[in-house]
Amino acid sequence: MSKTPSALVLGGGSTGCGIARDLAMRGVDVTLVEKGNLTHGTTGRMHGLLHSGGRYAVSDQKSATECIEENRVLRRIASHCVEMTGGLFVQRPEDDDEYFEEKLQGCRECGIPAEALSAEEAREMEPYLAEDIERAIRVPDGAVDPFRLCVANAADAIEHGARVETHAEVTDVLVEDGEVVGVEVEHASDGGSADGLDSFVHGEPGTTEELYADYVVNATGAWAGQIGEMADVEVAVRPSKGVMTIMNVRQVDTVINRCRPKGDADIVVPHETTCILGTTDEEVEDPEDYPEEGWEVDLMIDTLSELVPMLSEARTIRSFWGVRPLYEPPEVGSEDPTDITRDFFLLDHDERDGLPGMASIVGGKLTTYRMMAEDIADHVCERLGVDAECRTAEEPLPGSEDFSVLRDWMDEFGLRSPVGLRSAERLGSRIDEVLGEWDGPNPTVCECEAVTRAEIQDAISQSGTELNAVRIRTRASMGNCQGAFCCHRMANELVPEYDEPTARDALDDLYQERWKGERHALWGEQLSQAMLKHHLHATTMNRDGDPAATGEEIDFGAFDAGESEGELSDTSGGDRSGDAVADGGRRTRTDETEGDADGDS
Amino acid sequence: MSDAENSPPTEPIDSPSQGGPEPGSDFEPVSVFGDSETTMDLRPGADNCYKCSVCDTSCPVAEVDDDFPGPKFQGPEQWRLKRKEGSEIDDSIMSCSNCMRCDDACPSSVPLSQMHNTARGEYVDEQMDKLSVEYVRNRILANYRTSAWFASKVPRLANAVMSFGPTRWVMEKAMGVTSEREFPAFATQTFREWWRKRGGADASRRNAREARERRGDPADADKKIAYFHGCYSNYNTPEVGKALVHVFESFGYEIVAPEQRCSGTPMFANGMLADAERAAEVNVSSFADLVEEGYDAVASCTSCSMALKQEYPELFDIDGIDDVAENTFEALEYLRIQEDLEGAIADASVEEQAFAYHAPCHARNQGLDRQALELFRELDGVAMEDVGDSCSGISGTYGWKEEKYENSMKIGEDMFEHMHDAAGDVGMTECPTCAMQMEHGTGYEIKHPLQLLEEALC
Repeated sequence: MSKTPSALVLGGGSTGCGIARDLAMRGVDVTLVEKGNLTHGTTGRMHGLLHSGGRYAVSDQKSATECIEENRVLRRIASHCVEMTGGLFVQRPEDDDEYFEEKLQGCRECGIPAEALSAEEAREMEPYLAEDIERAIRVPDGAVDPFRLCVANAADAIEHGARVETHAEVTDVLVEDGEVVGVEVEHASDGGSADGLDSFVHGEPGTTEELYADYVVNATGAWAGQIGEMADVEVAVRPSKGVMTIMNVRQVDTVINRCRPKGDADIVVPHETTCILGTTDEEVEDPEDYPEEGWEVDLMIDTLSELVPMLSEARTIRSFWGVRPLYEPPEVGSEDPTDITRDFFLLDHDERDGLPGMASIVGGKLTTYRMMAEDIADHVCERLGVDAECRTAEEPLPGSEDFSVLRDWMDEFGLRSPVGLRSAERLGSRIDEVLGEWDGPNPTVCECEAVTRAEIQDAISQSGTELNAVRIRTRASMGNCQGAFCCHRMANELVPEYDEPTARDALDDLYQERWKGERHALWGEQLSQAMLKHHLHATTMNRDGDPAATGEEIDFGAFDAGESEGELSDTSGGDRSGDAVADGGRRTRTDETEGDADGDS
Repeated sequence: MSDAENSPPTEPIDSPSQGGPEPGSDFEPVSVFGDSETTMDLRPGADNCYKCSVCDTSCPVAEVDDDFPGPKFQGPEQWRLKRKEGSEIDDSIMSCSNCMRCDDACPSSVPLSQMHNTARGEYVDEQMDKLSVEYVRNRILANYRTSAWFASKVPRLANAVMSFGPTRWVMEKAMGVTSEREFPAFATQTFREWWRKRGGADASRRNAREARERRGDPADADKKIAYFHGCYSNYNTPEVGKALVHVFESFGYEIVAPEQRCSGTPMFANGMLADAERAAEVNVSSFADLVEEGYDAVASCTSCSMALKQEYPELFDIDGIDDVAENTFEALEYLRIQEDLEGAIADASVEEQAFAYHAPCHARNQGLDRQALELFRELDGVAMEDVGDSCSGISGTYGWKEEKYENSMKIGEDMFEHMHDAAGDVGMTECPTCAMQMEHGTGYEIKHPLQLLEEALC
């Protein structure tokens, strides 16, 4: 056995990846396991707000102070994941004056730069704000790309010697002599079965593996209770779901918050090419099985239209739900999930449950992920007897080293201006490595988000065949067509390195994943988009019944010869055309009766 | 009537006036990126795009130029990717010819040409070197009226100079204006000179009254139009303007020819939005007053009518702009709405003649691409043949640029071929620059539908 102290981190979200990076930088031998791809749980399902702390400046000043500190740290170490949009807390006529003053005061008490703006000044910044707003407070909110942030942490952890295993679900926590010594994981047999050199998947698909370490950190967020159960300790996480709706374009370029104590649907975050509307707060039993309901989306659009009226008519491209890993000490007993603190808790199972070798981290939020990671890394190091300083607040993440996006990418890499700019924003300081060293044609693979082949190939080299992992690294297929024009091109990029069935499976996975969110936006323009997408894929790739997928025999003769003479003579032409209905389907009994009743309506 | 023959303004481009335009749709773009109107926020317009690419397949430039990314990229994609800071407009916007066929092709009402016009305006404003040959050349081409005004003072000399080989050689080498094309001749008498000599609006009123009497219309019938002749009918083809006057008067219309500048079409196409706005301000203010008095604005050039109808309200915010837009018509369009033109044509006859008709792209965008064909079908003695729905390729000033000439001719190939195949050896079109291209590609004489109408009815 190696003498290097070792740690096992469960969960590939922002917290887990942050802990892995921190520990790896301190010289600990780290392995991170994640059951899906990175960000699969809560991290990939948030609105991407980089808190200034303004949101908590009245209700929870400790969190607010932490937020503004970490806000500044992330701007420095993760500049390519952060867009400093600025934020506004907007007061409408029906919102409380007193609360506005408290908010302003609270921000100042927490060291958050805050400035009161008149309605005119606010509307000058954001012309689409409602005309009847009262006033606003300007704070340094920003937008953060959780995917990029998480991936950059994981990549840097690997750089410092860590092992990162995605698609490796923990099936048991190994306890020997009353002490946690490791976990058993099952390597997924489908999706992400990559064997690329830099892949995050190393285990043999479909096998189980026992991983041992000196210390285990349970950073599985809303799933922490399930891991706890495997070790017979109770971690009472109270998962709370929230819906987020993605708009097709940016209606605002500043984070817009509603200035009132609490409530659903009170924030619009400009995120990359889109705006994300958030959110709701409702406790659920199971973090993986809860209803996703249309009224939640409607509520968001309706309520936020009070702040930005054009949202009511604007196009949404998808909606998704996330589950917050809320936790409060059992003795508090809040009824309403919105009352539960957003603070994080480190549960040392030795002190708490008499089970050494493991700690759980619960609660918290993305903006303070690094601080949480530092806390738990300190704890782990103390347990392991490692004496090393935390350096994560000083050392920039890969991609954020000394970098300016404002170079002439078009001339340098032969890209069109907006394509070059977007690539530079996503890749940060890695752009020279990814685009500069690319040899050969570099067509745009995803036109909506301006992602070129070089960037896709770079992502594939990191994550293997899982196109959803390519997606979160590049944003390819996250634009308004939701993959209609690029899913198959992305799959094509896997060939010839990977074989056809692998590319086909990867394409199916990505297509399904896109549909999961898109189905919540099926009206207006996005419905047209979804239909066009379906028809393109159904008619050119036979997606509505691909014989290569179903394995069914095809009666090719039926196409060549058509129907037999006998069948044709049975029915007169007129009757047959009467069978057809306008949508191209067949008239059924019900259609007939309804059709008669409808008349010319 | 006021006189438009004074010197056109040539002041340098300075800060354009503030304020947001009001497009036809319920969405009103606002200035998000800065304070000039070249940076209006059209990102929400990208909501309409479901990326079907029909615009790309209808783009004549994309068809012949593999390096041109097409209208979908230029419009909704580029706008959706736009940021407050750091965004630059891709220089390929300058390869768009502003034929606006993408507008017509889009099944989902994406404001493509508005997006292209504003992006091009921003590119020229913020990224183009104002001392570059390209900028100076484009500025001169876009302000054709200025050159034409000078030339019209000494038309014979101007014609001699402009057809003099060495002049054209220098223009190509120093300015990038192709020497392949023959410069259009300047008329020895402009339309406005003719109009004034003829007695202007007073004479027109008398003629209209006589015609009404002859037609049995009431003497005080509410038939009056304000003629937007544009630059080309004024300086180069006054016969088209005269034909309009004769035809409209024969139907009993009183005509006025108010003060006017360039419609702005060549300025939009070259991203010179400040120049275009100055011209639009003059045009709107002079036509808005007349519209209020009950006049309708009528143009003989389909690009001029297009500018007044669509581009003005999409791009500018000028008092009365919507009233002018709503009351602007192309000449044949107007007569077909107001009069029994087909009846009059059916009773008329002309000498046997055959025409190869090309519908300009800007006519297509106004739904007018079939009007000449449908109308003259009924005229005794005339055979009309449609030469297809391709773009002529010249797109105003586009085909005059040395670096665009070759693509311009490639785009026009279909049309030339069909013109040769058609029975007639006279071409017909509403657009003066399409006419140039038709003549350049085939050597045919080209007529305006109003000229045939004049021959049949007057």
